[in-house]
Amino acid sequence: MKSFEYLQPTTLEEALAALPTSRDPKERERVRLIAGGQDLLTEMKEHLAEPDLVVDLKRIEGLDKIRVQSDGSLVIGATCTLAALEEHAHVREHFAVLSRAAGSVGSTQIRSVASVGGNLCQRPRCWYYRSEQIPCIKKGGAECFAYSGLNKYNAILGGGPSYIVHPSDLAPALVALGAEITLRSATQQRILPLERFFTLPSEGRVQQENDLGPGEMVVELKVPSLPAGAGTWRSDYFKVRERGSYDFALAALALALLVDDGTIRGARLCLGAVAPIPWRADKAEALLVGRKVDDEACRLAGEAALAGARPLEHNGYKLDLTRGLISKALRQLASS
Amino acid sequence: MSMHQEGSKPPREAAPGKRWIEVPKIVNGIDSTEWVEVDMESDAPTWGDRASLRVLNRDLRRVDGPEKVTGQARYPHDVRLPGMVWTRILCAPFPVCKAVVDLDAARKVPGVVDARELREGGQVTFLGQAVAAVSAETPEAAEDGLRALKPRYEQQGFAVTREQALADDAPKVNKDGNVGRERKNGNLDEVEAALAQCRWVAKGTYSVPVQHHASLETHGVVVDFRGGKEATIHASTQGTFTIADEAARELGLSAGSVKVEVPYMGGGFGAKFGLDVPGTIACRIAKDLSRPVHLFLTRKDEFLLAGNRSGAVQDLQLGADESGQLQALSAKVDRLGGRGDGSFAQQPYVYHVPKRFFHARSVFTHTDASRAFRAPGHPQASFGIESILDELAYQMGKDPLELRLANLPEKGRADWARQLERCAREIGWYQHPHRTAPGKPTEPVMTGIGFAVSVWGGGGGKECVVEVRISRDASLAVLCGTQDLGTGTRTYMAGIVAEVFDRPLRSVSTQIGSSTLGRANASGGSTTTASLAPAVKVAAENAKRALLETLAQADGTAARDWALAGGRVIAPEKGQGGPNSMSFEEACLKLPAAGISASGEWAASLAGNGVHGAQAAKVEVDLRTGGVRVVKMVGVQDCGLPLNRKALASQLQGGMIQALSYALFEERVIEPDLGVMLNANFEDYKIAGSREMPEFVALIDDDDTRQQVIGMAEPAIIPGHSAIANAVHNACGVRVRELPLTPDKILNGLALARGLAANKEAGK
Repeated sequence: MKSFEYLQPTTLEEALAALPTSRDPKERERVRLIAGGQDLLTEMKEHLAEPDLVVDLKRIEGLDKIRVQSDGSLVIGATCTLAALEEHAHVREHFAVLSRAAGSVGSTQIRSVASVGGNLCQRPRCWYYRSEQIPCIKKGGAECFAYSGLNKYNAILGGGPSYIVHPSDLAPALVALGAEITLRSATQQRILPLERFFTLPSEGRVQQENDLGPGEMVVELKVPSLPAGAGTWRSDYFKVRERGSYDFALAALALALLVDDGTIRGARLCLGAVAPIPWRADKAEALLVGRKVDDEACRLAGEAALAGARPLEHNGYKLDLTRGLISKALRQLASS
Repeated sequence: MSMHQEGSKPPREAAPGKRWIEVPKIVNGIDSTEWVEVDMESDAPTWGDRASLRVLNRDLRRVDGPEKVTGQARYPHDVRLPGMVWTRILCAPFPVCKAVVDLDAARKVPGVVDARELREGGQVTFLGQAVAAVSAETPEAAEDGLRALKPRYEQQGFAVTREQALADDAPKVNKDGNVGRERKNGNLDEVEAALAQCRWVAKGTYSVPVQHHASLETHGVVVDFRGGKEATIHASTQGTFTIADEAARELGLSAGSVKVEVPYMGGGFGAKFGLDVPGTIACRIAKDLSRPVHLFLTRKDEFLLAGNRSGAVQDLQLGADESGQLQALSAKVDRLGGRGDGSFAQQPYVYHVPKRFFHARSVFTHTDASRAFRAPGHPQASFGIESILDELAYQMGKDPLELRLANLPEKGRADWARQLERCAREIGWYQHPHRTAPGKPTEPVMTGIGFAVSVWGGGGGKECVVEVRISRDASLAVLCGTQDLGTGTRTYMAGIVAEVFDRPLRSVSTQIGSSTLGRANASGGSTTTASLAPAVKVAAENAKRALLETLAQADGTAARDWALAGGRVIAPEKGQGGPNSMSFEEACLKLPAAGISASGEWAASLAGNGVHGAQAAKVEVDLRTGGVRVVKMVGVQDCGLPLNRKALASQLQGGMIQALSYALFEERVIEPDLGVMLNANFEDYKIAGSREMPEFVALIDDDDTRQQVIGMAEPAIIPGHSAIANAVHNACGVRVRELPLTPDKILNGLALARGLAANKEAGK
């Protein structure tokens, strides 16, 4: 990797002051934030990122904390590690999908340093993007080579002009839970629904996967408790990968169900690894309410979730895979 | 190659008192065999009854295990020398191109001491070819220097896939074109006529991808040359004695003045012979700078230019008569070894088919040459024949195990039959619900079982010179220049000496991995143990004899009256009541200050040749996600006399793991239009990890009672992936004819089957 300056601020203000506020992407790329470094370092080694300055957030006190509010909701600091999130007792009990998603990332070694903020802001894993030699659209080139190339891992939903899939496991879980993300810059703070934080390549800035503005960084995530209702909420994260030991998903599903005497009273579904953003399946959610989990419900949910899917040459299997995953997950969660 | 070559005969009658034996011969990892004439040994040593063995044929812990797991073992990559420079090489990221680099810019980078081009005019002829090298005071400066080269590539036409290489207007890889090295036997007309007569015929095209060795230590050397007349090469190599000649040539020294050190090395699997590209470059730079050079490939470079297992595409047709006796086989095989020939054993592999046609050829592409890789050519051949056998069996409504048993070759039939049946019992085949047809997808998760067999040579030859030393403190040492690829060479060397002297294993120290010690063969073809162990045994026996002779001489008695037993030295009785035995320690005190030593060479009677194996796999296929989980693997392997049962079981298990990984994950991916390798890293080039490990049952076939040592490290990898693919087919009816067995292929296969069923339904 290219040599760089290294800054270890102890306050948020100091870190934010180091971030360029220019709109010029080149200028912005000169400074990169690091927490666990599990994504940034891979980018730097492949020379996809060549920052002059790396700002380490790990010395900022309190930024790694998980706080449980009096109403049971969560506030998760940006530098909280995935291991801490996975193992947190309150998270395990009340936000199982989040703990399970965190636990499905990478390997034990990776989870022990990787951060929540870094996981949400990680760059795509598409092998065209990750090869320095390939001038893909994500790197300012004219073309998405995956579109007509080796695209078995690419998007079946929401693709174009880039066909990456969002690699985060936490994102579908947090979107399913209705989390909000807090962004700060030196001059302002924004809070927005996490779902709106992620942006499709067709929405403009194709070189970015989210709405992070100049000088902004992720500070924390607010995760509300699931709304009370008849019955109890159960949630889980289902991830299909080629290699169970350590791999990104082929397809994933964050699922929460409010089940009362076998009948679904509330549902949250968000797919991972099938689209450039975590893919909220709200139509599927709506039609599940009032039903029992049976063949028909599974089929309808699968169809609704995949409405508008347009597979590429080598990823048609993701349709069957996603349908199978939804069906498996619904049955497993409803009967647990 | 190490399969029994049918029809291979000694060149002439053996001379009186002599006999011919066939031994493996390996040059740079390429296997062949040759006949050598050896003495009919009347007083040749024997290993002794298995029942009488105290150390060997038991579970021995690795003597160097603690050093390895605590990081004390110093691998070639770990060598740091005063004044050493770090060298990095630039590998072409495109297959055919002209590379233009800015050497001056690299030289200006602080710390850089040398930058040079490696290709005349920068012309690159295959993907990954080394283009330039930069040397610097630190690894970081070397990388900065490499970046400063700012290479520009003027790309030219290339062929990186089989289809591209075979196209009419394909850019030529070789002057003669993109097809070569044809091997043909049998009569196609006869075979086609025979197939037409067969009651049952299966047809299919079976493909295996290019697999990488993926050794943990990459290829490389540290060249210790500081001017002067001597040099030492610290090399990660499978052949301590394959380096010096080439290195001496590059350094302008005599071969005898170049030492090679390989105390430990981080894996090779067949890819590490000779000085190789990094070694050659490092020697040239060391010569020019008169400074030590550290040059190891990065992981990415390792994927691009350190070799691989060739892929293969096989068009097979296999026919059987009504009773299930195989009658005819037609096999057309393309070996995909990049710019190399690739390797492919033969068809039919193992099984007996009376009428056969086999035509193999190499299809060349602009990628690096394949190399020897654990059982070269065998896993590819195994996948074809074992797959089509199962397809044929299910077509006939027959148990694929029975079809195998009915079609084993005469030579070795009893061995394979015994091993297959043992696999079947261990894996639970006889209780399995669907044995004559694949499972119907009734449950979301279906279970299946599959089988496959292997064959290998594993013999040895007169290659090694071993020394055994006895010191006055009663310690024993065994020395040989041989290298240990990780199989446990030190442990069985010490074990053999401990056995001969009836001493504890810990009293024997080992020294290996240095060209200053006795010569040894390179580790290829699983020939190391069968070449080395007999020499160790003979050296130990010679040392024991020398000990007794020395004691007898000092005592004025006859050596034949002395003996070693129960760890004590038995002396002849003297006068009345004199001591007639002494401890080994007491006896050694009588030795001269320098101790004594003896050397030994190979004895043909101690080594054998020819091993058989069978494996079975049990899998679960999740029909909703296409996921394949291997739940159990059973391997049964014969290997003559087991030296260290624990190490043998470990080899067998390691082979099954590597085959599992080949079955489910491993595959080199090169972008066909861009020519760039897309998965030259350990994230995208997937290798099985801990969560993929099934229950392993690794069984040494003790019905093989040969009192001879035979190598078996390679055959362990041959059948596993075929057994897994067969198990998947047995589970759910999806026959994946192209490895790896990834979820997309399973789901596409299931969808195809549903479509066919629906069409059939609609057609009614």
